[in-house]
Amino acid sequence: MSVPHSLLTTLVSATEEVFDTMLALPLQAKAPVTGPLDVPANVVATVAFAGHRRGLVVVYSSLAAARQITSSMLGIPVHEVNGEVPDAMGEIANMVAGTFRNRLAAVEPSSDISVPTVTIGTDFSTLYSSAVFRSRCPFDMQGEPLSVELILTGDQVGGLK
Amino acid sequence: MRFLVVDDSSTMRRIIINTLNKLGYTECREAGNGREGLDALTANPVDIVITDWNMPEMSGVEFARAVRANDATKAVPILMVTTNAAEGDIVEALKAGVSNYVVKPFTPATIKEKIEAVLKA
Ligand SMILES: [Mg+2]
Repeated sequence: MSVPHSLLTTLVSATEEVFDTMLALPLQAKAPVTGPLDVPANVVATVAFAGHRRGLVVVYSSLAAARQITSSMLGIPVHEVNGEVPDAMGEIANMVAGTFRNRLAAVEPSSDISVPTVTIGTDFSTLYSSAVFRSRCPFDMQGEPLSVELILTGDQVGGLK
Repeated sequence: MRFLVVDDSSTMRRIIINTLNKLGYTECREAGNGREGLDALTANPVDIVITDWNMPEMSGVEFARAVRANDATKAVPILMVTTNAAEGDIVEALKAGVSNYVVKPFTPATIKEKIEAVLKA
């Protein structure tokens, strides 16, 4: 089951705002998709939200994209990026989920977000029970894939009023 | 001008300190949560505190309350930098003693403007 379009539009613009404002890395948004990941995602950063709505915002990126993002955030060359990727990608997920949450809170009761969790590895595939609504918004970041998924559980899975 | 930057994310501390340096503020110390921030502040006074909200051990709001409750630190301006931007969040932070508020993501121009605002107040 996919997520209402108005929520995905909000998520895409929240992601673009974070990348435009904090990083000199423009994103090219592609059409939202459902179904399994079809691009390399070595870095997975997750923020949960709960309150009026319940679910997860998940940022997937290749390791190369994550290193580029980290370099841009810290203002250091990519080859100097070392152990900073998890903290930097956690902060990206925090800002994307936080901006998304603030935009929803402007038009409906608010939800709170969790601290980010970041996992780095290879060949991730995430499976959830069929009772969830999920859609993924892919982006192209200067040739590197990045995507942001919205997963909704609970009762409040409708679009924005 | 002496700054104390309190944030559990080392990335965000670096971004804020890089921004301060670019604005010409080079005397910056850092702490990883509110508890460490209080220790740093009582050991060495500063002219402005910049703090995150969501941190383990002691949050930015608890930190602001503790700073205001101590005679030695109660007058220091506190600028909060956070993703929490719902109306209720801002009211809660101001009640706790936060002087001004920057919502992440932010531009250097916003940080500059808010620093000038808390110094003028
Ligand atoms: Mg934090």
